[in-house]
Amino acid sequence: MLILVTGGAASGKSAHAERLLCDCAPSSRLYLATMQSFGAAAQARIARHRALRQGKNFETIEHPLDLAGLVLHRRYDGILLEDLGNLLANEVFAPDGAGDAAFGSILAGIDHLQDCCETLVVVTDEIFADGIDYPPETARYICDLAALNRALATRAEVVYESVCGILLPLKGEKGI
Amino acid sequence: MTVLFIGGAHQGKAALARALYPALPRVENLHLLVRAELVAGRDPLALREGLRGHAVTCDEVGCGVVPIDRADEAYREAVGRLCCALAAEADAVIRVTAGIPQYIKGEKICT
Repeated sequence: MLILVTGGAASGKSAHAERLLCDCAPSSRLYLATMQSFGAAAQARIARHRALRQGKNFETIEHPLDLAGLVLHRRYDGILLEDLGNLLANEVFAPDGAGDAAFGSILAGIDHLQDCCETLVVVTDEIFADGIDYPPETARYICDLAALNRALATRAEVVYESVCGILLPLKGEKGI
Repeated sequence: MTVLFIGGAHQGKAALARALYPALPRVENLHLLVRAELVAGRDPLALREGLRGHAVTCDEVGCGVVPIDRADEAYREAVGRLCCALAAEADAVIRVTAGIPQYIKGEKICT
């Protein structure tokens, strides 16, 4: 099963995604972190997410690029991928990323993860509503993330948006 | 009771707060108060206590690209965290789009 959780910045989506995964995955849980720990803001965010996961029995792997190439030595009840916005930024902007092939590379990675677990929860970002004109590379990034969100929402059995920490079902419902 | 109206800018949140909860004192544009607290070097989460018993309106500001400016990013984060905390204890949370209220938490009031 694929569950997609979207939401704006600081909307509570990570906490919900973790809870959803813990509800679905009884024991073996993998947290797949895509954020690269550059800068104080990223480190603060990583520390906050670590604190959220503490005591919830997650194995953690940091894997910023090339999900399709990730070798897992076991199968998991649940995998939490956090998050799609960072993964796309890494693939597009990092020197060793997939560049123009980022979209296909990420979808292949999602396929791979689904093969490795019963329940995959993917966290993504709502970045589409600030009405600002960005330079071409940023505009392309926004467009690609939107395309990924649409593609994953099509595949997902369940899609939620987190708003002020309230989980709004956009498609399906867990357990149905 | 405590009620939170959220939504994009200029969606009619304050007008709905007045119409739906005329007896409640209002705090409008919470996002601006958050900005002011940050500028003053205070923790915006501390605003929460003073918001109890009010109809509060706040712009949703988190649905854009991560701002390059560190202070803008901290502002966006602080608005989101305060809204999560306020929504958790609010009796009702109403998301307003084009003047239309959607109750995402709590009982709907009919006028």
